[in-house]
Amino acid sequence: MSTLHYLDDQIIARYTAQPSRLPLELRREIERAWQGAPVQLYALADLDQSLRLTETWVVLGPRHVASARRVGEDWEIRSVERSRIEALREAPGLSANTLSILGSPGEPALLLVRYTHRQRRTFENLRFILEEQLEVGARDIPAVDPDRVYADSIARPVREAQALVAGHQTAVIRRLLGYLKPYRRQLSLGMAAATLITLVSLVPPYLAGHLIDRVVRPAQAGTLPLARAWTIAWLAVAAMALVYLVRQPAVHIRLRLMSILGEWVARDLRAELYEHIQRLSLAFFSRKRTGSLITRVSADTDRLWDFLAFGVVDVSLSLVMLVGLGSVLLSLDWRLGLVMTLPVPVFCWLIYRHSERITRLFIRAWRKWSRVTDVLSDTIPGIRVVKAFNQEQREIGRFGERNEDVTTEFNRIHASWTTFWPLLMLGVHMMTVMVWVFAVPRLLGNGAQLPVGTFVSFLLYTTMFAAPIEVIGQMARTINRATTSAHRVFEVLDTEPEVRDVATPVRLEPVHGRVTFEHVTFGYDGVRQVLRAMSFDVHPGELIGLVGPSGGGKTTIVNLIARFYDVTGGTIRVDGVDLRRLDTGHYRRQIGMVLQDPYLFHGTVLDNIRYGLPEASLGHVVAAAQAANAHDFITKLQHGYDTVVGERGHTLSGGERQRVSIARAILHNPRILILDEATSSVDTETEREIQQALERLVSGRTVFAIAHRLSTLRKASRLFVIEDGRLVEHGTHAELLAKSDGKYRRLYELQLQLQ
Amino acid sequence: MTLVATERAAPTLRLEWRSDGSLWALRGDEERAVAVRRCFPWSEPARYLSLRDSEEEEFAVVRDPADLDVRSRAALEMALAVAGFVFEVTRLLEIDEEVEIRHWRVETRQGPRTFQTRLDDWPRLLPHGGLLIRDLAGDLYHLASPERLDRKSQDLLWAFVD
Repeated sequence: MSTLHYLDDQIIARYTAQPSRLPLELRREIERAWQGAPVQLYALADLDQSLRLTETWVVLGPRHVASARRVGEDWEIRSVERSRIEALREAPGLSANTLSILGSPGEPALLLVRYTHRQRRTFENLRFILEEQLEVGARDIPAVDPDRVYADSIARPVREAQALVAGHQTAVIRRLLGYLKPYRRQLSLGMAAATLITLVSLVPPYLAGHLIDRVVRPAQAGTLPLARAWTIAWLAVAAMALVYLVRQPAVHIRLRLMSILGEWVARDLRAELYEHIQRLSLAFFSRKRTGSLITRVSADTDRLWDFLAFGVVDVSLSLVMLVGLGSVLLSLDWRLGLVMTLPVPVFCWLIYRHSERITRLFIRAWRKWSRVTDVLSDTIPGIRVVKAFNQEQREIGRFGERNEDVTTEFNRIHASWTTFWPLLMLGVHMMTVMVWVFAVPRLLGNGAQLPVGTFVSFLLYTTMFAAPIEVIGQMARTINRATTSAHRVFEVLDTEPEVRDVATPVRLEPVHGRVTFEHVTFGYDGVRQVLRAMSFDVHPGELIGLVGPSGGGKTTIVNLIARFYDVTGGTIRVDGVDLRRLDTGHYRRQIGMVLQDPYLFHGTVLDNIRYGLPEASLGHVVAAAQAANAHDFITKLQHGYDTVVGERGHTLSGGERQRVSIARAILHNPRILILDEATSSVDTETEREIQQALERLVSGRTVFAIAHRLSTLRKASRLFVIEDGRLVEHGTHAELLAKSDGKYRRLYELQLQLQ
Repeated sequence: MTLVATERAAPTLRLEWRSDGSLWALRGDEERAVAVRRCFPWSEPARYLSLRDSEEEEFAVVRDPADLDVRSRAALEMALAVAGFVFEVTRLLEIDEEVEIRHWRVETRQGPRTFQTRLDDWPRLLPHGGLLIRDLAGDLYHLASPERLDRKSQDLLWAFVD
């Protein structure tokens, strides 16, 4: 079982309380009823006809579809031959969907099931196969593992929302600490310095007590010669000075080493993470939100720095400090020691409870804060609409109300912690008072004798309790925050790129640009096929126009040619070599892309044109810009080619960005060029200039151009009409127009009418 | 410019449930299997109901079910029960925060249920009171009167309601 499948099973078991697969005995029973025909796909209908939760399985085989309803310990199975199915109807609702599998018109439904959105993806898979059967006749279901498809469909929403890394919190922490390994020396030194700080901190109160009991009082009583008392006293002062002289350099070493070490680990994590992200396939980026990935590289690694630099040390040393304090106090005087140590667990518990309450307050405040930011993200980008409709006052009122609301919540948080901490400190001080209560009678000779120095030591030690108690109380939260970040980082690191090179990849030198599709099928989820048995052969230098309705599979074709994904069936060959056998990096250097919304990076126009070829000479850059009809507008800019274009190039107009991206592609000099709606979002004059630039760009290369405006593809060598994942027509513009009932002709005429 | 709503004398709309398990809309010579969509599922759930065919094309809008005959109204109500179905939460048992998601364990009128939401996906306050929670899969959970839930549920819900 693959890791992902195992993970999906875990998610289903943990989060959905529904079976992670079709019960084995049921599967056998159904297959027996079908004379051994295998179960190919299945789904769980989790609502009954009266909309109560239930367990009914809908199972698809090569010739049958069956439903199995749990009745007590048994299953009530109804099997229907697929050949009887004449129609399918799905009625989506707010949370209940109904699928009717229909036979002849007027007859009762062959099968009618209801299910929640959680099950909808699994039913879409079934529906897709059955609709295919109705449209093009019975077709083999792609060889998929039905358990895998089911588990993937159910677990996907959780898997996509959450950073899931198999393993417990301790395993995650251990893995995180593994990043400290290369810095063992610095870590040991830092920990040693921190331990030294903790231990020497225990010395001054002890010295004070010792000085009083062994020097001051005997000297006052005349039992210790004054000269000797002076000597011991000065020695004690020197020892005290030594303590601080040792402590402060140790503090310096600890802070410096641990913060630097934390930075190194964060740097290593960031570098590893970014490098890994660059290697991941496009499928990963379509699953994860950009913002979430940026947070993982920035905020999460920063939080891990904080944990590794300070959290680990603080938590372990606070434990050492508490144990050390307890031991010293109990050894000095066990009765007073108990007074001081017994309440400590209670304080830790109180702090834990307080942090739980604060967390709830923060959730509430965070929710209200999001309402404030909602107004901002609504109205600032939409300020023209606000002004056009004269709604400024209303928006000010809306913001004011929410701002007031969030302030109340934050004040509630402040009220909580400002009440708690003084109360807690009152508790700590009450420990001191209790020490007094128990000590004073003994100091006055009532009960077991208590030396004054010991009493003073106790008083000094009491001041040292608060800090480690606070750290221990916050320990759970600190570790939780760190493991959350670690989960998110490790999830990315543990994701394997779906497109990988073979052990000894082939390098085509040079690439001629012949592209052959042989019965290519492809589906993003393994079941629903976006391309179906597509075959074509494109010769080097041909310009292929891809046309057809949206969602037909045009972009998928170019994504496959660029090897952003691997085919699920059939083969794509470039110059006769299977694409999967090529060195992907080398191959992609031979590919150029000009997209509808060209992406420019933050940097100068020069940097952007040279993006694919950083060592290109300025002469080549200017030549490329001239060929792209970009040189003129660039030189008119105040800083020419050194003009910094803002984020995503938004300081330039759409047409200007497009021409810079064409210049980039021209300079890159690809053998295979992909134009995806390159002129669709510009005005007519700009389109003319871009068309001129593209004509220069395409000459001598194999080009795949997607365009909705069919007039832009008149010069194509051939046009491929793609519909519903199939190549339904191909030929030159004139050949296709000559077909009286052709799809291309119909599309072309429709566009002419609109013009 | 003044916008004036014009009404044509359209043939009477009739609705019926057929043995194929679907709601059928009939108007004049036309008949189509339709699904019901509430135009205002939370602010005006009983009115403005869009009847759409399997191609998602609108066949008719029922502004008020009271305009229909008794049989049609009964058929429409059956369809509405399915189309408007959401889980009705009766008790909260646990709300737990995990890595990037919030995990809910609840009891509903339909049975016990666990679901997850994103941490920044907050329950939505409905126009007529009550809360609506949308889980990661898109299923909806309705808390009609949070203030009438038991004490533990209210306590758990405290951070999520005003």
